[in-house]
Amino acid sequence: MHVWEVFRQEQEGEPMVHVGSVVAPDRARALEYARDIYSRRYEAYRLWLVPREAVVEVTDPDFLQPPIDRTYRMGVAYRVTVEKRRQIKEMFEKVAREVQGGG
Amino acid sequence: MTYEERVEAFRKRIQEGHKVEATDWMPDEYRARLIKFIEMHANSELMGALPERDWILRAPSLHRKLAVTAKIQDEVGHAQLLYRLVEDLGKPREKIFEDLVQGRTKFHNVFHYPTYSWGDVGIIAWLVDGAAVISQGALQRSSYAPYGRTMRRICWEEAFHLKHGEDIVLTAVMGTEKQKRLMQEALERWWEPLMMFHGPPTPPEKDKDLAWGIKTKPNEQLRQEFLSTYVRKIQEIGLKIPDPKLKYDSDKGRWTYTEPDWDKLYAVVTGNGPASKERLSFRRLSLEETAWVRRAILGERAQAA
Ligand SMILES: [Fe+2]
Ligand SMILES: [Fe+2]
Repeated sequence: MHVWEVFRQEQEGEPMVHVGSVVAPDRARALEYARDIYSRRYEAYRLWLVPREAVVEVTDPDFLQPPIDRTYRMGVAYRVTVEKRRQIKEMFEKVAREVQGGG
Repeated sequence: MTYEERVEAFRKRIQEGHKVEATDWMPDEYRARLIKFIEMHANSELMGALPERDWILRAPSLHRKLAVTAKIQDEVGHAQLLYRLVEDLGKPREKIFEDLVQGRTKFHNVFHYPTYSWGDVGIIAWLVDGAAVISQGALQRSSYAPYGRTMRRICWEEAFHLKHGEDIVLTAVMGTEKQKRLMQEALERWWEPLMMFHGPPTPPEKDKDLAWGIKTKPNEQLRQEFLSTYVRKIQEIGLKIPDPKLKYDSDKGRWTYTEPDWDKLYAVVTGNGPASKERLSFRRLSLEETAWVRRAILGERAQAA
């Protein structure tokens, strides 16, 4: 008997999501069990069955989340653009006032 | 780190709301409690299919027959999902079944009672499943993540059980006097087991499963939620709850009721309920009769008779 991890795609184009596992002696039985347990109500557009041994797991935080600042890779780190836009607008307004005042 | 220090660190992580996965390290006590808790839940799903099974052939219409059959298939499916969790925690399925049929492990009190009429089928699907969904809803936030995820799936399917059960009850109370009486009598039979369902009001600080975050709400809180959800719905359709003491105490902000006999609950779940023996011997018989299927699946050769 083998453990098969079951992944399900609920709708076309959506991600494959892990939903659980089944125990079965072979591929054909595993597919039947997975269908019976994880898709009795039109819940799956697609199922993936992966033998558990094939899953490589890593949870080591030093590997996944090294203590280096990586916020420069993220959109949210550039929220300053809002403030910068405000400053630019002010700058232009100032220039406009000077031009008018001078003319 | 010593073992004790690891346990302490684990306990702290759980209290902070972190989740545990099957492949994570966990203390032996946590694992043992998870196995016991989830195994009882799984056994209840499996044994819970039996009282309703008796009514497939007696369902009053083809639609009801299909729906009851689908519900039963769901319950056995829930048992499958939960037994997988127990297996992953280290207890083999054959041992789980062996312990169940030998009466060494438990299942919920409500599945130790017989059914007498179609009224029981409606009340079970509506209120027994309703009480179960209150617990299972809280278990979605269990510290053991695979259990929490399984609960989300189970609750989603339970929505159909509740609605179908409620529909059975409503249809009957809209019918003849005899049909109404069927529901009233069933409610009277099930009220006491329902009030016992969430267990004795163990003080939360003494509840180890709560401390480990395996469950997230104390027994009494679950019972109060059950009453707040269902009492009005039951009364609105003209059914009478057989407890003269039942009322909402608005000063205390809680329901008061006749205290169930907790010794009786203990006796029932340890195999002395009115249908315990019959249900277990039926399960034992099925296990024996289907042994050849399991052997065939495992690819064992047939033995010469
Ligand atoms: Fe269920
Ligand atoms: Fe159910």
